[in-house]
Amino acid sequence: MSDLDDFKATYFDECSELLTELEEQFAAIEAGERDRERLNAVFRAIHSIKGGAGAFGFSALVGFAHAYQTLLDFVRDGRVELTDDVVTLCIRANDIVADHVNAAQSGEDLPANYGAEEKARFDAIARGETNSEAADSGDSGDEGGEIVEDFDIDFTPVMVNLDDQHGRREAPVDDVFEASPVASVPEQWEVRFTPHRALYARANDPLLLFRELAALGQMQVRAHLGEVPPLSDFEPFAVYCAWEITLISPTLTEEAIREVFEFVDGDCDIVIARLGDAGAVAPVREAAEAPAAADAEMDLSSLLALTEDEMAQPAEFAAEPEAEPAGAQDQFEDAPGMSLAALADEIKPTVAPAPVKAAEPARPVASMPPAKAAAPAEGDDAGRGSVGVQSIRVDLDKVDRVVNMVGELVITQSMLTQQMDETLRARYTELVRGLEVLAQTTRGLQDSVMAIRAQPVKSVFSRMPRLVRELATKTSKKIKLETIGENTEIDKTVIEQLSDPLTHMIRNSADHGIEGPDKRLAAGKPETGTIRLSAEQAGGNILIVVEDDGAGINRERVLRLARDKGIVAPDITPTDEQIDQLIFAPGFSTAEAVSDISGRGVGMDVVLSNIKKIGGSVHVRSWTGKGCRMTLRLPLTLAVLDVMLVKVGDNPYVVPLSSIVETMQCSRAAFERVPSGGRVLQVRGEYVQVIDLGQRFGMVPANAPDDQFVVLCEAEGSQKVALVVDDIIGQQQVVIKSLEENFERVDGIAGGTILGDGNVALIVDVQGLRTTHIHQNAA
Amino acid sequence: MTLRVLTVDDSRTILAMLHHTLSNAGFEVLQAEDGKQGLDVLKAQEVDVVITDINMPVMDGIEFIKHVRASGQHNSLPILILTTETSQDKRDQGKAAGGTGWIVKPFDPEKLISVIHRVVH
Repeated sequence: MSDLDDFKATYFDECSELLTELEEQFAAIEAGERDRERLNAVFRAIHSIKGGAGAFGFSALVGFAHAYQTLLDFVRDGRVELTDDVVTLCIRANDIVADHVNAAQSGEDLPANYGAEEKARFDAIARGETNSEAADSGDSGDEGGEIVEDFDIDFTPVMVNLDDQHGRREAPVDDVFEASPVASVPEQWEVRFTPHRALYARANDPLLLFRELAALGQMQVRAHLGEVPPLSDFEPFAVYCAWEITLISPTLTEEAIREVFEFVDGDCDIVIARLGDAGAVAPVREAAEAPAAADAEMDLSSLLALTEDEMAQPAEFAAEPEAEPAGAQDQFEDAPGMSLAALADEIKPTVAPAPVKAAEPARPVASMPPAKAAAPAEGDDAGRGSVGVQSIRVDLDKVDRVVNMVGELVITQSMLTQQMDETLRARYTELVRGLEVLAQTTRGLQDSVMAIRAQPVKSVFSRMPRLVRELATKTSKKIKLETIGENTEIDKTVIEQLSDPLTHMIRNSADHGIEGPDKRLAAGKPETGTIRLSAEQAGGNILIVVEDDGAGINRERVLRLARDKGIVAPDITPTDEQIDQLIFAPGFSTAEAVSDISGRGVGMDVVLSNIKKIGGSVHVRSWTGKGCRMTLRLPLTLAVLDVMLVKVGDNPYVVPLSSIVETMQCSRAAFERVPSGGRVLQVRGEYVQVIDLGQRFGMVPANAPDDQFVVLCEAEGSQKVALVVDDIIGQQQVVIKSLEENFERVDGIAGGTILGDGNVALIVDVQGLRTTHIHQNAA
Repeated sequence: MTLRVLTVDDSRTILAMLHHTLSNAGFEVLQAEDGKQGLDVLKAQEVDVVITDINMPVMDGIEFIKHVRASGQHNSLPILILTTETSQDKRDQGKAAGGTGWIVKPFDPEKLISVIHRVVH
């Protein structure tokens, strides 16, 4: 079934949400918040993961989740105490569940005994509880992780012959002799059925039971109306009837009959007796006194007309019209040797209702966040009149198309607005008003479209605690992870690209930033190191910061290595900040570098290139002995960017407005040369590096005028850079087009755009320019 | 006349699968993600049968069934409990609350439909 893949996709989406929730809940539980609602939420999460896994046949996952869930159930019931050890075991178990989910998703197989140790501990803890009444606990039974039970659909419902489409194959009603090749004699069964009041209270209905029985064979139902009182005493919810049902079929078993009464077990008295073969069929006796009512409702007027004597007689009812052709309402005499009286003696409840434990009252917690409202849910519930969170699944491509078109619309709208000069404005007030409304609407449209793709970074952040736990175990260090701002929303496409770089950065912090416990204590630091992962929105960007309180970057080693690799010329002495950035230099880190230096920088060039791919940048800052901070600056992937349009030579370029501090004019004489060959400009007592875009982009300046326009920009880490341009045209909005997709990556250029007049303008990558500049000057 | 089924489950996966199975069988499907939402649906619309999970946030399945029965409006509304619990205990709780029948997850589509027919007129 092709829908299976859809369901699986939904399931895995849901799993990642649930695993995120587990991380969150256990973070709170570890912090000492051990209230019942948290435990319930944890239990439900595992329970849901298990439920879906069962549906898709991920048996390893089901097995593990089941054992885990059993333990959680005991914890929930207070039969197992939630000690720190149990919490640690649960956190480990969550990781194993996550591994199982990943394996199921990727189709890989985990080792057969994966998680066996933990499973054994669940069972041991569960067995070690104070008493053994665990066996019949709410959810689990005592099969100690055996899951066979879970897969038993423990009844086989019978197809009810509603529309003659699906008669029961085993026993076609109208063709009993074809049911089995070994011609068997039709057997006659007698069923006595006396419902209790509770049966009706649970919305069960004898009529439906008879309908079901009718599908099992030829049926005759007789109602005993002896208990029906005069109308004055008639109680609508009381039970006055009992029924005798005769069934004839060659293949019928007691089990099949019991199954029909499965739901009403305990809510009725029922006796089932086999009366041997039904060979001797008595002649038909017309049921004169009672109306044959197919819908089993007594005709009240005839009921009232009945004498008491007649009341004592069993009235006869035909079974479902479909079950037998009308007129063929055969009636069988009671088989000799088995009188109804004898049957009546045997009447007793077969199963006493089990003692009922009071159900746990649910405790709604007001603070339960509607988790699904934030993330675009992806159920396939396009059902009419669905309530709750309704969602549809849409291909990202379709959304992208809308995003792009909205971008173009925004630009067209701003172009139109710009075309309106004062005379036109004065003449066409209505048009002006219309354009203003259009401007508002397009802005709103743009925000809405971006919101469709935005997701909280939580989905990536939630994978990190586990990583830190594992790294801490591996390196024998004590590390705690703090996350801040995990509800910050970023475009889905960015989020998907974020996981790898973050993993690299955190691994670096844990492996090489945070010192071992002894070293930390010796340095007067707390034994446990902290890695702080935060996300915040800053203007048109998202800042994601990985910060640790470890030893910082070993600059001496980094510089030596960079010189060895020829990244930095021997006669150049870079600043500390430049050295820190070197760890991102392409080719800086290699496998042998890992053993050579403290490992900082392993894979960092990969991080940088990954982040650049999504239009972001990375900046690192280190404080020796105090720690290190790496900042990812990512675009919101707004298709639309506010920019300043400038001219370099004859070509238009755009500089993102978000990075511009100010613009100014100054004479070329103000640029001072520095020994490294670069030039700087003094701005309010601060020396700022100068980059002449004309030179940088290889345009030979035709007699550079003495007066130059300078755009002062701020790059990462508050480092300023002065871009020299030939003219400043003005501000506008542009739609970003990727250079990589349409051409190839160009250093110093973040992308391209098409201007209102059809010209292409390139978008200046301020941070990239600055970084390559350092390397160029350093080389 | 199309039968209308209300499905109550906090798992999107299960809701989606129920929706698929039931709408293919010609039922009209309504959805709720917890007992409280389920009650809201019942306040607003008539349904022919309810299928509910037990473990749900806000209001669990047992409470939900109790509320439905206590309202007095839905005495004859069949409520099927859809759950992985195979132990008698949960089932008895569900029955005590007023559940009509149950079906065990993972459900077999054909069986699900036949169980619905077993409890719906």
